[in-house]
Amino acid sequence: MKTFFKSIVLLVAVSIAPCAPAKEIRLLNVSYDPTRELYQDVNAAFTKQWKDQHGDTLRLEQSHGGSGKQARAVIDGLEADVVTLALGYDIDAIADKSGQIAKDWQKRLPENSTPYTSTIVFLVRKGNPRGIKDWDDLIKPNVSVVTPNPKSSGGARWNYLAAWGYALKKNNNSEAKAKDFVSKLYQNVKIMDTGARGATTTFVQRGIGDVLIAWESEALLSLKEDKDKFEIVTPSISILAEPPVTWVDKVVKRHGTEELAKAYLQFLYTPEGQEIAAKNFYRPRSQEVAQKYANQFPKLTLFTVDELFGGWQKAQKKHFDNDGIFDEIQADNR
Amino acid sequence: MKRNFLIVGTLIAGGLVGVQSTRADATSEAINELKQQIQELDQKVKVLERQQELDTEAADAKAKDTPRITIGNNGLSAASADTNFVFQLHGVLQIDNRTFFNDRDSHNQSIVGNDTFLLRRARPIFSGTVYKDFDFMFVPDFGGSSVQIFDAYLNYRYAPWLQLRAGKFKVPVGLEQLQSDQYTSFNERGLPTALMPNRDIGFQLWGDVGNGRLSYAAGVFNGVGDARNTSNADFEDHREFAGRIFAQPFMGTSLMALQNLGFGLAGSWGNISSNATGLASSYLTDGQQSFFTYTNSSVVANGRHWRLSPQGYYYWGPFGLLGEYVISDQEVRKGAVKADLQNTAWQVAAGWVLTGEDASYTGVTPKHPFAPRDNHWGALQLVARYADLDIDNKAFPIFANPATSASEAKAWAVGLNWYLNKNIRANVSYSHTSFEGKMNPANATVTRQPEEVVFTRLQLAF
Repeated sequence: MKTFFKSIVLLVAVSIAPCAPAKEIRLLNVSYDPTRELYQDVNAAFTKQWKDQHGDTLRLEQSHGGSGKQARAVIDGLEADVVTLALGYDIDAIADKSGQIAKDWQKRLPENSTPYTSTIVFLVRKGNPRGIKDWDDLIKPNVSVVTPNPKSSGGARWNYLAAWGYALKKNNNSEAKAKDFVSKLYQNVKIMDTGARGATTTFVQRGIGDVLIAWESEALLSLKEDKDKFEIVTPSISILAEPPVTWVDKVVKRHGTEELAKAYLQFLYTPEGQEIAAKNFYRPRSQEVAQKYANQFPKLTLFTVDELFGGWQKAQKKHFDNDGIFDEIQADNR
Repeated sequence: MKRNFLIVGTLIAGGLVGVQSTRADATSEAINELKQQIQELDQKVKVLERQQELDTEAADAKAKDTPRITIGNNGLSAASADTNFVFQLHGVLQIDNRTFFNDRDSHNQSIVGNDTFLLRRARPIFSGTVYKDFDFMFVPDFGGSSVQIFDAYLNYRYAPWLQLRAGKFKVPVGLEQLQSDQYTSFNERGLPTALMPNRDIGFQLWGDVGNGRLSYAAGVFNGVGDARNTSNADFEDHREFAGRIFAQPFMGTSLMALQNLGFGLAGSWGNISSNATGLASSYLTDGQQSFFTYTNSSVVANGRHWRLSPQGYYYWGPFGLLGEYVISDQEVRKGAVKADLQNTAWQVAAGWVLTGEDASYTGVTPKHPFAPRDNHWGALQLVARYADLDIDNKAFPIFANPATSASEAKAWAVGLNWYLNKNIRANVSYSHTSFEGKMNPANATVTRQPEEVVFTRLQLAF
């Protein structure tokens, strides 16, 4: 008799369980400026996958802006479940200043928590009227350069280090000559947006400048949208840009979204996630997907932040912190 | 000859072509230079426009994070950018003068009423809102002989019609008692306020329904005697319940003449056991002199205490009228002797704003604030009041001494209120209170002769 009743209870429980009402779960992804299209596609695909697997409806919200600005917003209390920023340093800043992210965050996901990479190239007007071929052309007189502000934009910091790295390589690692080169480059910069997407707007929509130093993904996207007006010039050497992703530990615990946040970021590494990255002009980590989209990405020599600058902590402190080299350059150029 | 002409002609033509070609080159070069200049200027203009866009975006972003601070005739207000935190500072300062007339005791020539200047109220009012729905208020008063906390409460606004208040605040019974101190017509509230509870500690559910057409309040409190403020703890074990319902049914309708007609009913009910602090310490005249006290501390509140107060007001244009009636029924005991004393009071107060501004329960705002150089003098209001407080005859002689305490006080007053602007007001009034009872001139002081007093006040409120 006892067994009979136990079976009835089990049967009832099992039949009720799948009928538990599906819930709506919200997740906020705080990202850097140019990833709008990428995460629009990622969110659509992941939402469908999660619904099929779990039955819950997801409300994935995005916030975009200069990577440094976004990091400061999270430090100041913006309740991001996940951050997908332009550089590791900005996520380290969140971890250090707010304690909301574990300090070993970069080890938690594959490839140092960077599911895709990019690099820095030049976007020029169709016909390349200024004859831009390489970095040296950017410091010619009467060449107007568009690049965002390294104080707020992660992309801008990649741009700056790419230029500095080029000058180092060319001048036998001379810091003085690298500084001189970058200083001349910024003399040709008439306006600095707070983020990479803003800089694209300035160049593409407002028609300002002769060359935009841009994320490769951003340049390819601009070309896709208007190939009759622009061309991409691949410099001889550039930097390997590795924009990382992680979940914000304290926020996901508060919101109860830890499982979802991890699944969302892990989705970026799946074949479907890698395919979406490649379609949005980010270089996938997956060799298989990279091979499929090989023709889309120009081949160029790349160096890393670790190789030339000793990592982001050192680069940030030396170049971009208050009274760093960028501030010196700006003061000299006034 | 012909050949020579041909040669010369060819040479001349060749020269002309050469000149023209040079001119064309020069023109073309000039055009190219101009084009370049135009392009450069175009770029400069675009850069300036874009910079302006970015500056505006930056300013808008900064404004979102910048707290807002305003200061004006409504005090100081500071709000965080997201408006989750709002802090306000208001204040009331009242500097009074009381001058008594004909108050020399004819029996022994002593003076009964002390002429005095006094700081009637000096209250900074700290209030604010956190997370949009939680209001708070904290009001200390530095005007008396010791600093007191008058109001200290938290209020949750679920909706205008459903709010919960907790802390120390005015018990929702007396109409004139509930009127803010800065808006009362006279320096002191009328006699019915002597039978109302003042401030008490408790919880109250309240709200405004139908855009203020109906207000309700229902609360549970520690319980206070007539005209008393609570101390910081209950003086005995039972609670007092108080409630009020007030209607302004024509508010917002097209019946302009009745829009500010309001009427309601309020009351309280409590049960006090054997405690002197449950009774009024004394009943005071307009001049704040005691005309009735219980015999001594052996008279205690002992049992049920209920109050009922029908009340109402009417304002139309410069005319204002306020009236209330109150019954305060209290079971008392002295030794083994018990009684159920029912004291009653009523008042009617009227006002007319001579300068034409609208009268209201919340004061008068002058159309032309005081600016004598521009011939602007503020607003002037004439006010008058009649009030009566009747002590239950059963109080005498066991619970109160008929030789010294009056059984009834009747007071009339007239006054002039000068509203210089929204924040400054000056007033002068005359009050006359007569007493009935079996007072013995040899013993009575205040109640031996009518009280005549002239009040003046200078008030700052913001």
